[in-house]
Order: sequence, then structure tokens, then C-alpha cells
Amino acid sequence: MSTNTSKIYIVIPAFNEDSVICDVIKEIRASKYNNIIIIDDGSFDQTYENAKKENGVIALKHFLNRGKGAAAKTGIEAAKMLDADVVITIDGDGQHNPDDIARMLKLIDDGFDVVLGSRLKNPKGMPIWKIAANHFGNFCTWAIYGLWVTDSQSGFRAYSKKAISLIDTKTDRYEYDSEVIREIYRNKLKFTETPIEVRYTQYSMSKVHKMNLQNGFKTLIKMMISS
Amino acid sequence: MLSITIFQLFFALIAFVFWLNALLKFFRRERSQTFFKFFANSVVWLGIMLFSIFPSQVHLFSEKLGFGESLNTFIFIGFVIVFMIIFKIINMIERTERNISEIVRKEALSEIKNQ
Repeated sequence: MSTNTSKIYIVIPAFNEDSVICDVIKEIRASKYNNIIIIDDGSFDQTYENAKKENGVIALKHFLNRGKGAAAKTGIEAAKMLDADVVITIDGDGQHNPDDIARMLKLIDDGFDVVLGSRLKNPKGMPIWKIAANHFGNFCTWAIYGLWVTDSQSGFRAYSKKAISLIDTKTDRYEYDSEVIREIYRNKLKFTETPIEVRYTQYSMSKVHKMNLQNGFKTLIKMMISS
Repeated sequence: MLSITIFQLFFALIAFVFWLNALLKFFRRERSQTFFKFFANSVVWLGIMLFSIFPSQVHLFSEKLGFGESLNTFIFIGFVIVFMIIFKIINMIERTERNISEIVRKEALSEIKNQ
């Protein structure tokens, strides 16, 4: 791997994840990535305090809940301020496997600007309704933003320095993931997709704020009308 | 021979300028112009432009749409105006939401600046 690991930043947007956030941090560290930025998106629980207790973790807090997209953007802005070469975004509920990061970094080293983790390239264990919802989300993203990808709603992504300097998102919530796809298209960034493992635990599936049918329709409407 | 008054021409030109602005924004893929916004803009401004140049077609159009009376067409236009107002309000809310996020972000990032 040629990218200097001291300039690789892992950005984790988190909302009410106090019971798992320390395990997520430890798992990432076990994969030898030590630059971790946690953005607590206005949690009501101890997410921020627990993250701050972990040595070396940069914990930032939104004093109001602004959504996953807003938190991811704050994390990326923080990484830019710290002169990051590569930024990886990963969900805060532990559903992503940090072992997949190495493959993403390899692709960035190969010259890609953005690497999108795709659940649909490895749908093992993925509930049928999630697969169907993902296909629908991919179709809407393609119809509205003009670029076809196999997982437009994945939060597990890697960005090169060029990508983080060019991508400029405006949306705050789940529509952010699709807006990134538009930015890739708009800025003609070189991108690829790689299969990722997703661990659907009882915890991650039980969270009420996660993407569900109602949130899906809200996201679609926002994608259509929002700038 | 089509006779156009200066007022008709004025309204048609205004509508054309607004539509052209929307078209340019859409093709430049500006962030403020989504497909939905461009479509809504086209319906409203091209409609105004056509009806300014061909006012007699309004009655024909309302008959074709099944409105029958011109009064109903005015009600229809009223709905279009209400729709545009809602559209503006949505834009204002979006701008406000964005500003709130920026303030929240600045405050969160100040921790890094202070280190």
C-alpha cells in the first residue's frame, strides 16, 4: 500500500450509538487505522463522551441533530483540515467490516478518486426487502442524477484527496449518499465499486432512525426537489 | 396575421428569460437546479409565454382540458401561482436548513481549530 497511513482518516457519523461506538473504534484500530474522526450528530445518549474516552480519537459533536449526510460532511471537512490524503466513511453501528478498507485503499492507490462499497455485489445475508429497496434507490439515483451504481445508499466509501476537494454536497440526511453520486458525475471523478461485507445485527436492524420505507420515500422526494 | 401588443410581448419576453435561465442552470448541472425544478419551471414559464402570445388559445385549451369556462382557467392559473409560492417557500426552508447545518458544522469544527 503506497498511501501514507498517517494521512488516512476514517470518518464515522454516529447518532445514539453509545453501546457500540467503542467496539467500532477498537475494531478499526485492530485493522491498523488510527486516525479516527467520530461525529456525534446531536445524540441524546453518551456517544460523544464514550468516543472521547478512546485515546487519540478525534470526537466532534453537532449540538443539533442534522442528519447522517451533514455529519459525514463535517467529518470530511475535519479530515481536510488535518490534510488527509484519503478519507474513508463508515457507519457507526458496526455493520461494516473494517477489513474491507484495505481493498478500498488499494483501489485508491490504483488511481480511482472514489471507491463505493457495494452491498449488492456481495448480498449474502442481506434481507430480500433491503435488496429490493436498494434496486429502487439505485434506479431513482440514476433517473435523477444520471449515474448508475449498484449501491447508491451505501455509507462505506473511500475518497481520494482530489475527490474530497471537489465533492461539495448540500443535503443533510439520507439523500446525501445519492448526492455524492451526482457529484462524482458532475466532477467527472474516476470511480469504482467494490463488494463489502455487511453484518446485519439485531442492533443495527432495530434502530428506528435507519432507512425504512417511510424514510425512503422522504429521501426520494427530497432528491427530487432539493438542490 | 398574428397581432401582438407591447404588453403581450413584454410578458412573453419575461417568461422566456426566466425559462432560459432555468434551462441554462439545468444544463450547467448547477446544484440549485434539479430535473423536477426544471420541469416545473418549464411548465410554468413556457405556459405563460405561449398564453401571452396566443391568448385566444386559452379558451380552446381550457375546453380541451375539460374546464369549459374561462373562469375555471383562471382558477387553474391560481393553482399554478399557489404552487409557485409553495415552491419558493420550500426553497427558503431549504436555505434556512442549510444555514443551520453550516452553523452546527462550524461550531463542531472549532474544536479542531482550537487544538
